[in-house]
Amino acid sequence: MTTNGHSSNGSTPRLLEGVKFLDLTWYGAGPIATRTIAGMGADLIRVETEKRPDGLRVAQPRPADAAGYNLSGYYNNFNTDKKSVTIDLTTERGHELGLELVQWADMMMTNFTPRAIRQIGMDWDTVSKANPGIIAMYQPMQGMTGPHSEYGGFGAILGTICGVNGLAGSEGNPPAGVGTNYTDYVVNPIHAVTALLAALFHKRRTGEGQMIDMSQLESSVAALAGPLFAQVNGAGAYVRQGNRVDYAAPHGAYQVADGQTAEGDPRPDRWIAIGCTTEEHWRSLAAATGHAEWADDARFATLADRKANEDALDALVADWARPQDGEAAQATLQAAGVPAGLVLNATEVLADEQMVDRGYFRYLDHPEAGLRAQDGSGFKLSKTPCEPARHSPLLGEHTFEVATDILGLTPDEIADLVAEQVLF
Amino acid sequence: MAMALEGVRILDASGPIGHYAGRMLADLGADVIKVEPPEGDPARRWGPFLPGVDEPESGLQFLLLNANKRGVTIDLTDAAGRERFLELAKTADVVIDSLQADEAAALNLTTADLEAVKPDIIHCSITGFGLSGPHANWAYSDIVGCAVSGTMQLAGMAEGPPEQLPDMQGYHSASIQAAAGIMGALVYHQATGEGQAVEVSMQEAMSMSQETAMMQADILGTNRERGVPARGLDIPGLGLHETADGYIYMMASGFAGTGFPGLVGLMDATGDAQDLTSDEYTAFIAEKMNTNFIMAALADEAQRAPLQDKLDHMSDVVREFCKKHPKLYLYQEGQARRVLIGMVSTPQDILDSPQLAARDWFVDLEDPGRGVTLHYPGPQWQLHGTPSTLRRPAPLLGEHNDEVFAELGATAAADA
Repeated sequence: MTTNGHSSNGSTPRLLEGVKFLDLTWYGAGPIATRTIAGMGADLIRVETEKRPDGLRVAQPRPADAAGYNLSGYYNNFNTDKKSVTIDLTTERGHELGLELVQWADMMMTNFTPRAIRQIGMDWDTVSKANPGIIAMYQPMQGMTGPHSEYGGFGAILGTICGVNGLAGSEGNPPAGVGTNYTDYVVNPIHAVTALLAALFHKRRTGEGQMIDMSQLESSVAALAGPLFAQVNGAGAYVRQGNRVDYAAPHGAYQVADGQTAEGDPRPDRWIAIGCTTEEHWRSLAAATGHAEWADDARFATLADRKANEDALDALVADWARPQDGEAAQATLQAAGVPAGLVLNATEVLADEQMVDRGYFRYLDHPEAGLRAQDGSGFKLSKTPCEPARHSPLLGEHTFEVATDILGLTPDEIADLVAEQVLF
Repeated sequence: MAMALEGVRILDASGPIGHYAGRMLADLGADVIKVEPPEGDPARRWGPFLPGVDEPESGLQFLLLNANKRGVTIDLTDAAGRERFLELAKTADVVIDSLQADEAAALNLTTADLEAVKPDIIHCSITGFGLSGPHANWAYSDIVGCAVSGTMQLAGMAEGPPEQLPDMQGYHSASIQAAAGIMGALVYHQATGEGQAVEVSMQEAMSMSQETAMMQADILGTNRERGVPARGLDIPGLGLHETADGYIYMMASGFAGTGFPGLVGLMDATGDAQDLTSDEYTAFIAEKMNTNFIMAALADEAQRAPLQDKLDHMSDVVREFCKKHPKLYLYQEGQARRVLIGMVSTPQDILDSPQLAARDWFVDLEDPGRGVTLHYPGPQWQLHGTPSTLRRPAPLLGEHNDEVFAELGATAAADA
């Protein structure tokens, strides 16, 4: 039984029971991938340093006036079920200990740039010599080879290069992106999980480990490839069209009247998203809004007609929506089978009756941050649940344990290494 | 070379929300059989379209997301069709569908029904809201997932509407989570011989893409607003900058790399640094343009106010410089100096990317059924021992009916 497992229920099988994973990632895309692996029950050790801590450890959101490395919600949501060990891999002794962990591990992952990977001595030649059967994923921004492989950047930089900014929004507005470093959170980390598990599947069949070169650029472009695939294959140049799409109309966000939340606070910025992808959706929308005549209007007879007259169509839907109560409009449309949903803010998502009923968010007690909401797993497995079970580790919380149990160091040796700032 | 999922058979009866999941697993080597209704999957008729080819074979999104799959048509609303589907399920390791709870129950195609014919089946359901809960049977489309997951609230201009994420990210997020869940279930099946259900809700699948918004709401009780990054970061060398031919995004104010001094070097190389190389500005930049100052200035107007004139001037010089040069120049030359700059790529820029070209990322594949050769994006990952491959174009409607049903007959005969 691993200490980071669902220890309250010893009978629940863990998908990756017994798999040893060395996590040399930081920031978003790497740690979220390894969080998911840890949630599957792998014994996962994340190596950090206090000399150069993960920026997320000191990022917002934190409780007001809070200081220290253990209070950031940004970090704490993305590192559940992990052990944290502080080793300075840039020191000679630290590197030796790092290689011992490589030998311990079945799998490892890093998302540093190739240059930084060489600096900490964790390139494929080195790790595969230390552990020939290992699966090692390298997930730098642009991959391990090519003229841009050493380029630096965080999610905001990648978002521009991979096309999020160039695709989102409307012509006429600057390409400001989608308000987040979008591909850091699901696209790149969960792609990485699939790749890691595929490699594990292969290793268990053949005994062979392998190197995985996972370029965050390629991973991101692959998930945003529709427009460029269409353009290069003759469909014409991509045009940014806000909330519209080629394949459905009406399709957009329509402002509704201020509603009341349970707490009674006003919501001046309240919208309902509607996306009619079938003729049935469209006719149902017309009927449900009390405008059966729309369905008979020659301007809107087919999808092509509705696309050709989309400004007029959107104006009609917007006029209908504007005085509606949002919840009531959503209920009316859903009762008629029209794809419609309120644009929820984060508070509303946390309290959303569907999310609550399904128990998506997990509330874990953290020794410094208190009882906090955590994202659950994006997939539910009926026999081997992958939901987070243990709070994210304090910085170096498991250094002593790992140094003793895995690295075989004595308390005196550990004290010396702490004094030498190899372990800290 | 070996393929990771060689010998794994997946029956993919999903609608558009699940197409991408099966595609990724097919790329890894699985034999993915796409099951469509007799009239075809709806996305076959979704634009944009391949010119010169008639429907239902021209929908480019369908062609992209269903490459590497074989295709059969089965009417699941018909009892004989369902029987044939279950016969196929017996030969499969994984079944993917996007039936909502009521539909699955009405068609007798729930996990239990599939387990009755194949006890160790891995059954993956991909829907808008999941199979349980009060919204399980709600209608959904991609934009609804963006809305109810909280991600859409963060996207768009401050003064405009919330905006969807581009290129079906609701559906893609659901598919990405599904592929990972299926892969996990395959690993567990390999170890134990047991199947299980994999269930994905698009609403949940996208939730983590709220970035810090969920944690902020939980810890501070406040909601992030959209439009803030574009509006709030008027610090020199930080954020979106117009170029001669488009835009770049810069993080040249600390954080990492060579920061603002590196940017001054980049500007000086073309004689565009103006007075920022003067002793006065050099000293100011050395002292102030670092991460600590930036974070403090972002948080505290009072710290920033006395410096505002200098900051404004520096911003003006940087913006003037950027407008004189093409984005690719600023991106490549900046990065060569370790200044964190990203180019705002259009689809064409990505198609022309020197980096993707150097890694031979795009793949051309002949599509004889449609009489064209299509140019495809490459894989999400490069598994050096078991690379993903593109082996066949998306199926024509019913293209493999004879082949697959003949295999089924042979299997049935062998079993008998």
